[in-house]
Amino acid sequence: MKLALVLFAAVAAAQDFSQRGFFENTGLFFPQAATNDSSHAVGEWLLRYEASYKLAPGLKISGSFDARTDSHHETEREFHLSWWDRERQRPAFAVRRLSATYSRGRLTVEAGKQFVRWGKTDVLNPTDRFAPRDFVNVVDTDFLGITAARVTYGTQSDTIDVVFEPRLTPSRVPLLGQRWAVLPAGLPIVEEAPAFPGGPEFGARWNHIGAAMEYSFSFYNGHDHLPLYDARLALAPFRIEAQRFYPQLRMYGGDAAMPLRWATVKAEAGYFTSTDRRSDEYGLWVVQLERQSGEWSFIGGYAGQVLTRHGESPEFSPARGSTRAVVARAGYTIDTNRSVAFETVVRQNGRGMYFKPEYTQAFGQHWRATAGVVLIRGEAGDFLGQYQRNSHAIVSLRYSF
Amino acid sequence: MNRSLAIAVSLVAAAPLFAQDARQIVAESQKRARANSQRYEGVLEVVGAGNKISKKSWVSDRIGAFGNSKVIIRFTAPADVKGVALLVVNHPDRASDQWMWTPAINRERRIALQDRSTRFFATDFSFEDLEERDVDQFDYKLLGEEAVDGAACWKIEARPRESKSSQYTLTRIFIRKDNYVPVQYESYIKDQVVRRLHETDIANVQGIWTARTLEMTDLRRNSRTILRFEKLQYNVPMKEDDFTVQALRREQ
Repeated sequence: MKLALVLFAAVAAAQDFSQRGFFENTGLFFPQAATNDSSHAVGEWLLRYEASYKLAPGLKISGSFDARTDSHHETEREFHLSWWDRERQRPAFAVRRLSATYSRGRLTVEAGKQFVRWGKTDVLNPTDRFAPRDFVNVVDTDFLGITAARVTYGTQSDTIDVVFEPRLTPSRVPLLGQRWAVLPAGLPIVEEAPAFPGGPEFGARWNHIGAAMEYSFSFYNGHDHLPLYDARLALAPFRIEAQRFYPQLRMYGGDAAMPLRWATVKAEAGYFTSTDRRSDEYGLWVVQLERQSGEWSFIGGYAGQVLTRHGESPEFSPARGSTRAVVARAGYTIDTNRSVAFETVVRQNGRGMYFKPEYTQAFGQHWRATAGVVLIRGEAGDFLGQYQRNSHAIVSLRYSF
Repeated sequence: MNRSLAIAVSLVAAAPLFAQDARQIVAESQKRARANSQRYEGVLEVVGAGNKISKKSWVSDRIGAFGNSKVIIRFTAPADVKGVALLVVNHPDRASDQWMWTPAINRERRIALQDRSTRFFATDFSFEDLEERDVDQFDYKLLGEEAVDGAACWKIEARPRESKSSQYTLTRIFIRKDNYVPVQYESYIKDQVVRRLHETDIANVQGIWTARTLEMTDLRRNSRTILRFEKLQYNVPMKEDDFTVQALRREQ
């Protein structure tokens, strides 16, 4: 034990070792009760620790670990360390990242649990296929790491990125007994164990940075990390039995960014097909303008969707639910410690709207407080509008180290 | 961000030592500061209204010379911005390209910088103050001589040419006559001084006279930012492959 402590201290003191992390306490306050959730306040606590160590020139180990709990049973109450992130609830203890990165010249290879982010736009990224998220709270999400091997080769101007994920990491969906799962009133619904796919995921992306613009083409073949539902009516006892499954998915995508004199144009599009007839086939696209003006930053655009085949299974897809909408984000830096931000999604038919103003202030070198409001309005049949009773206030206090 | 980047008007070409031509003086100043690469640890203090101080620090690596250089800045403090990194690719013929890596979203973002008067990370430096500039995009006039901190200096006026878009109408540069180090910049909008950059702690680092403390005062906001270069080194062996978007991600 003493030897381990001495070794740890020696590693921590080494120049090739770096670490950071934070402890965050968040309170969410809902003025309205939901049909399946009468709570008005939720407390969440998260400790995140990240470290990396260079074993040799060009070889680095990176790790990240989460420990969390909350007052609303969003998090499991049992002790185990999650690697695959397939639990229904958030795991109390999870390996967020643990990967080895080898780089030599133009080549970078990363293997293990890691984050792979594709795309250039904000608010919505149709091509970001290796980025499952935690949607236990649909409007306040966090990315989940995937277990994969990633090879990147290239220069500043041209880069090829190839990703192989042997086992799908699904997005975590809202819990049935809580307000972010809006269910038909009066119908008992039981969730069966999900049907996770067995096969791997594969993707490749080529990115080019030119003088006038930067663009990428990407391809993905695997499964959707967002589920469809197979629902069956059982008579004795009378209930609906729902099972999540993750259909085969293929994506052809592209994204681009072009700096112009007055604004930067960013665009991203993906076309999604599936061999599973229960799944829709569709295209998603986003075009946005971005401009910095003094201490303001503005992003505004439109997210669209084209449906080419209608499947038969209901789905949970916040990405598609935020399309056919105007999306915008603005930020203002008051001074070195204070800033405000605004984010909104407004459906073009006016049936759903989300608006989030947020104020953040740093105190000294370690503390940061954030206060915000999430306003959701709309009709029950709309993806955003269905959460009309979930408007809430957020207060969080973070200690970073 | 290095000294050469941080200086608003640093320029190209050589000149006779005793020349009184303004353009040649600033060009000689830049020539003497030229290095193939540079590394330093930057410690920055923003002194706002009410003398409230906030601190930031970063490690900066630069490869290449004026007009064609690449810079990576990695923030090391305060704790909640630790890991944020900025890649700046400068071009001789157009505005620089910039990408920012944010650990919270695990992604690099190309930064839109149409308005270069935007303050750099809420400091008193604007992005334009940090840019490398082409000597041919300014007209110079030698206004005379004036002492700064007791040292005799040339006082030079630099006005951007019509082809050059700038937030400033003109900048007055004070260059020391003994070692060609620029020690003060006064940037004007119309006839009002809006920013003053004062450089001190001048030392000879590996044969290059360098000011290791920069104090930028925003006279309109009544705030100032002090930037100190620590562990400054020139001509450190660096590789081009470490100054790419790919490198920005893999070093996190």
